[in-house]
Amino acid sequence: MAKNSIDWSPGNWPKLLYQFFTSFKLATTVLFLMLLVTLFGTLDQVDNGLHKAKEIYFHSWFINETMGSLPVILPGGMLLMLILFVNMTLGAIVKVRKRWRGAGLLISHFGMLLLLAGGFITNQFATDDYIALYPGMSSSKVESYREWQLEVMPLSKDGQAEKAWLYPSDVLDTVRPDEQRTIQTEALPFDVVINGYSKNAMPIPTSAPMAASVTGKEIDGFKLSPQKPSTEAEQNLPGAYVEFRPKNGADPIEGILWAGSYYFDPREKPMPFTFEVGDQLYGALLAKKSRPLPFEVRLDEFIFERHPGVTTPRNYESRITRIEEGQPDKPVEIKMNEPMRYEGYTFFQESFGPAGSNPGDDMYSQFAVAKNPADQWPLWALVINGIGLGIHFIIMLVSYSSRARKKRSATEATS
Amino acid sequence: MKHCLLTHLTLLGLLGLTTNASARELPKVELQNYEPWEEATVHAFENILVQEGGRVKPIYTTSRFTLMQFSGKTTAKFETKDGEQHSLHHAEWMLDVLFRGEIAKQLPVFIVDDSEAVVQIGVSPKSRRDRYSYSELVAGRAKLAELSAQYSKKQQQFQENDKDEQYELGRIETMILTLGQNISSFEFLLGQFGFARKGEILVNGEILSPEFKEMAKTLDPVEMLTKMPEMTLDQLFQTVRQPVGDSEDERMFSDALRLFFFHANSGRGLDLFPPQEDANEDWRSSGDVMLEALEKKEVREWGTEQLGKIQAITNAQGESEEAFRNALQSFSDQQHQTAEDRGQGVRSEMEISLYRGQWFWRALYCFVIGFVVLAFSWFSPGTRFSKIMILLASLLALAGLVLDIYGITLRSIIRQRPPITNLYDTVIFITATAVLLGLIIEWFTRIGIGTLVAVVAGFAGMFLSVKYEAKEATDTITQLMAVLDTNFWLATHVTIINIGYAAGLVAAIFGVIYLAGRFICLLTGHQNKDLFKSLTRMNYGVICFCLFFSLVGTVLGGIWANYSWGRFWGWDPKENGALMICLWTLVILHGRMGGMLKDLGINMCSVILAGIVTFSWWGVNNLGVGLHSYGFTEGIWGALFSSWSILGIFLLMGVIIWFVERAKKADKKRAKSNKEAAASA
Repeated sequence: MAKNSIDWSPGNWPKLLYQFFTSFKLATTVLFLMLLVTLFGTLDQVDNGLHKAKEIYFHSWFINETMGSLPVILPGGMLLMLILFVNMTLGAIVKVRKRWRGAGLLISHFGMLLLLAGGFITNQFATDDYIALYPGMSSSKVESYREWQLEVMPLSKDGQAEKAWLYPSDVLDTVRPDEQRTIQTEALPFDVVINGYSKNAMPIPTSAPMAASVTGKEIDGFKLSPQKPSTEAEQNLPGAYVEFRPKNGADPIEGILWAGSYYFDPREKPMPFTFEVGDQLYGALLAKKSRPLPFEVRLDEFIFERHPGVTTPRNYESRITRIEEGQPDKPVEIKMNEPMRYEGYTFFQESFGPAGSNPGDDMYSQFAVAKNPADQWPLWALVINGIGLGIHFIIMLVSYSSRARKKRSATEATS
Repeated sequence: MKHCLLTHLTLLGLLGLTTNASARELPKVELQNYEPWEEATVHAFENILVQEGGRVKPIYTTSRFTLMQFSGKTTAKFETKDGEQHSLHHAEWMLDVLFRGEIAKQLPVFIVDDSEAVVQIGVSPKSRRDRYSYSELVAGRAKLAELSAQYSKKQQQFQENDKDEQYELGRIETMILTLGQNISSFEFLLGQFGFARKGEILVNGEILSPEFKEMAKTLDPVEMLTKMPEMTLDQLFQTVRQPVGDSEDERMFSDALRLFFFHANSGRGLDLFPPQEDANEDWRSSGDVMLEALEKKEVREWGTEQLGKIQAITNAQGESEEAFRNALQSFSDQQHQTAEDRGQGVRSEMEISLYRGQWFWRALYCFVIGFVVLAFSWFSPGTRFSKIMILLASLLALAGLVLDIYGITLRSIIRQRPPITNLYDTVIFITATAVLLGLIIEWFTRIGIGTLVAVVAGFAGMFLSVKYEAKEATDTITQLMAVLDTNFWLATHVTIINIGYAAGLVAAIFGVIYLAGRFICLLTGHQNKDLFKSLTRMNYGVICFCLFFSLVGTVLGGIWANYSWGRFWGWDPKENGALMICLWTLVILHGRMGGMLKDLGINMCSVILAGIVTFSWWGVNNLGVGLHSYGFTEGIWGALFSSWSILGIFLLMGVIIWFVERAKKADKKRAKSNKEAAASA
């Protein structure tokens, strides 16, 4: 009995912790819990969509959700991957007995650690945006798929803006539909009051029958109706009731801002809500968050082909030119499975538009633009892992077949 | 004695099946007799090329999947009034549809799974599930058109409203919609060559006036083309829509145009004519050719030439079957020559041989017979007879494997792609891999277990492939969407991940054999520890194999995703499915190494692995989310839940074995301590 008892004295804690973090039991439990988290995170995508399910299950430290009527209380994906990383480092790299027979496993665990580390770096530092261009158009900024920000800008008489004040998506996302929040900006002669923000909304004319059931305030003949967030987070069009309160005590200006006023076709122009404070004209709109590129990209040509007689796209590819400091570089071709990598950015041929276009139509090309410091880590991890597992299983197979051969010969000799 | 019993049972079963088949009554049709096409005529016809689904293929393929879609089978069986029974091959049926429409209208090819569907369109029902002819359904045609339009709209609303249940079609509604679509497709086929048969209006004749029909007997739409002024289609449609003037000429002109448009509209859908311009890849149907030639004068010469070829065939049909056959052959030869110059349809003969060979059916027979032969070996284990039976069964499994691989190879050559490009391909590929794995294991162990795994996997896989093809009833040699258009990634990631699936399923079969065996031993009191130890060892090896391929395949998939979508991992359902297989195999391997899983646990876990593999293979495609939505299969959840329930039964056996063993151990321990207590007393 005394042989199995555990020494819980504080002096023994480091040893106990080491044993705990290097144990197979911990590895098995964590892997099993990761399986459960993956299963629930997959099923949850049906109701909540990929983006939200990812946040809840895989990018979290702890999960406390209900799926239907089933409570799901589990450690989150981040926590599990962290424990697994520690367990693998200590158990499979540090503690494991180093012998030739285990060389394959040792190598493959290195590969897995690299994969997990790459995943962490991607999660923390990678960005994914897009850029859409018609042939002949160029741009040096990319836009976010899901993040919307509030932009307030002074406008010249012809409606042009030279600078803008940005209220980032982090600020907006935390405002509930029934909450009021005031944002003060020293350089502006008014405060911006957000009277409720919905991540997905639709302005409805008050004359429409469905407007009766919408509780929001009527402004200029419209009410803002909050909608159920789409399972495709990119499809959400946020909306907000806003009020611009002049600091000089003049009457506030109320308005509805809706993401639908932003452009969806690269040739369209955003339509800001305009108002006057003093003699200055201002514009406000919900716009997609944008990031500058260190170079300009010009789309020279977009090629789109369908399989004959059907609507399935066979190929779409873009010829682009990078322009740096006004100097065009040599043209580059980007197509499905053949991205362009340059200065840490990777441009992928993602899609095209407008919807319903046919070959020969005037079409724009859309690129996914990713910046990921761990871009190629999975490839290296795969090579290391594949080599490791390959070595291990070959050793196992040789040993098994030799044992089986010996056993068979022994049986035959006996009979 | 047992041997005799099994033989008797097998024979009785086969006899029962044969008797059942011969006693089954064929549907009677309103035809006095049926004159079959000569074999040579069918051969001349089946190699005619059609562009469909983005590729050029033999009409043999089109007819096969069209009849399968209408009828659920590739043959049409019926009995004529003279008491003769007939079984028409799909190509013969298509010949009837295109060239003997009045006969085709009498053939019972429209399957209706529930007679309620025909009652709702006002047609007298036959038995609960039956096949109807066009003539039997035509009385309800108007109602069918109305209801199917209504249900089609509802189905569209279902998709547009995030699959809102209020728009979900019921079972009967789905049947009516499908029947409506099938009838409509059939009508298009019937009317394909209407322009070439003066006066023959096979469908929608009721909407035409008697004078109009009279005019159709004399008017030749192809000849009309040579006399028409050049006008745009809009102008011509305007002319038809305008009120007819008083003059006879105006009335004649308007009627002739309406008749022309009637035939042109009926002649759409079967793209038989390679386009005139080399740069254009879209083939034309006779309807397209008629409209294009009407609109553009420069196309008229080419257009009348193409349409004239069809007229030559229909004219020859009136002379003799030999003349008809020669005309078909001549059309086919010219078409092939043009297509080959364009680099299209070059492997049509091979495609016909793929379907005519029925390689997957033949493989299925091999696996079934292999299983029966193997079963004989179980009555006298270890004897010479048993060894011969195992060898025979292994050879049959090998034959099945060769047939499967031959079919896969033909498909790969036809489309010039690696073996897997769609869900159907995964079935036949995974089957081949699982059978190969079973046979490799048999090679090393020589105890019949590997062969058992091979024949069970082969039978299940081939059966699934046949059922899946019949259920989908669409061409399984498909064109790829742009993102999949890469032979490198198809050959690496897709192939490797499917080898992982196959290994996971093989591991599960081992688990099932282990649990069933242990359970039977538990009931009968027999012991065979060595066999079960050996089974677990083999299973462990297969699980390792599964991990290797699943892991490498998953990471390769991530790298592909990184190249095409810009991210290595996106928690997409298909990616998660593959990850779950990796995680579960890792759980098994670490659990074993950590002493948490013993033989029973490993085998139970391998059965669960099958549940995870099937979820990843079929289930995630049907969640309706993610980037891998190209593998949707209607009604798959029912089949998945059934398969998981069956796996659950084996797991239950495992749980019972565990409890019984635990009780036995406790008894032994108690007896031992009692003995020790008695000794010390």
